[in-house]
Amino acid sequence: MTCFNHRAMVRAARIAPVTMAAILLTACGGDGDGGDSPTMMPSPTPTATPTASPTPAGFDVSACLTQEVAPGVSVASLVVPDTLTLDLAAASGFPNGRRLPDQVIDVTLAVIFLDLGVHSATTLAGVPVNPPGNDVQYRPVFPYLAAAQGSPPLATGGASTFDFRSDASSAYVRVDRMGMPAVATALIGSDQKTAYNDADPADDANGDFVPELTEQLTGLTNALADDLVGLGLTPCAKPAG
Amino acid sequence: MTVRRKGPGKEITIPRPVIQAFSSIETWEHAVQHWKKLTIAGGGGLALAAGTAMLVPGLAGFAADHLDPPVRTDPSVDSTPDRAADIADLYAWHTDSSVILALTFAGPQATDRPATYDRDVLYTINLSNAAPRTTPDIPIRVRFAPGNVEGSYGVQIEGLPGVSGALTGAVETDILKDGVKAHAGLFDDPFFFDLQGFKDTAATGTLSFKSTRDFFAGQNLTGVVIEIPRNRIANGDNPVDVWATTARFGGQL
Repeated sequence: MTCFNHRAMVRAARIAPVTMAAILLTACGGDGDGGDSPTMMPSPTPTATPTASPTPAGFDVSACLTQEVAPGVSVASLVVPDTLTLDLAAASGFPNGRRLPDQVIDVTLAVIFLDLGVHSATTLAGVPVNPPGNDVQYRPVFPYLAAAQGSPPLATGGASTFDFRSDASSAYVRVDRMGMPAVATALIGSDQKTAYNDADPADDANGDFVPELTEQLTGLTNALADDLVGLGLTPCAKPAG
Repeated sequence: MTVRRKGPGKEITIPRPVIQAFSSIETWEHAVQHWKKLTIAGGGGLALAAGTAMLVPGLAGFAADHLDPPVRTDPSVDSTPDRAADIADLYAWHTDSSVILALTFAGPQATDRPATYDRDVLYTINLSNAAPRTTPDIPIRVRFAPGNVEGSYGVQIEGLPGVSGALTGAVETDILKDGVKAHAGLFDDPFFFDLQGFKDTAATGTLSFKSTRDFFAGQNLTGVVIEIPRNRIANGDNPVDVWATTARFGGQL
């Protein structure tokens, strides 16, 4: 199915976003950012948004977002705000930062789709589903990345001065941003990508993209869940009540 | 509570029990100490063989960050794609003595192509080591420029903690100042992923991952690697958040 049709289906089948958004927002609000007050306010009456369409094979992905990759680290807290986070006191390795050889895609797929009470976060990486490593060896010492392959033309040496711009940051216009691998590309839909790249982690923490993340994950899960089950895997999502 | 999304027509309600569900979150530090104990589930009873197909419909451009956002960087969508400002990947890890940051961009590309050093692009690697975690306490700014020898290029890195002024030098070589090391240049694309499987899915509705198919194999890109003494980044037990941005002088292409 095309991406467009997928999104149309998601919109027609909106089921769990309400709960999802709450989970994501609550998760990111707990880090002291304090940025949620402008968008959160008391509401005396629930305002659920049922649609006229029935819900075909709808799933509630709440459990996927609340489940913990490690104690205290929920999936929701990893994707909002969209930053790599390093705990210098613990061993390095995704999702504690990101090293060159980390199998970030397989780990990410596992934690957003699989029941981590049944499967390890490294289940798919252990299979592996995607290539388990780089095609050439990284360098063991600085600069760590492997040398360019082939025989590309390289810059000439010998220069003593360089003509750098000295313009202030304000003279530049944002093009791209990145924190976690795959969040912007996989969980943000086409019509939100530009806004997402223009935004900052503070906007993430403010909850600006929580409905979008929720919608995308729900849609993907609706399309995927039966395939995961067919492969002997236990999805984290539950059929929507 | 009601959450209002920016823009019309989006209003959702958050049940109080869901909010309360997060009241018992433990600290990040504790959590990651547990995480490091997790190990790869080698041969652990999964009915999946290497190279087995999996269905994951709905994603056209799933990658680390290459060609995102499409309307600015993907030549199939944008007639003036900004390759130079297209982030490929961001890496950040630590050792006993260092924090290493690596930003790759302008790729992947064939191995007969030169590096991309665009004078009009500002690359920023932001580090936050104090609350709130979303403010760039240490914005590290990277620029490129041609040098005074034909075909030469240099890199300038500003905002490095403990470094007086900017760290500046030629590309394709290790440069060092006040204990910080950097290297900008053309590299092998360090990322590995079966992008073709995702593209097939977007086109056909039947998508296959193959662990033997790495779209990024045999391709290069441009990047900058920066190694900083860890004690200049550490701030007590605070987590260190890292993200990168690119921006173009005078506006987008």
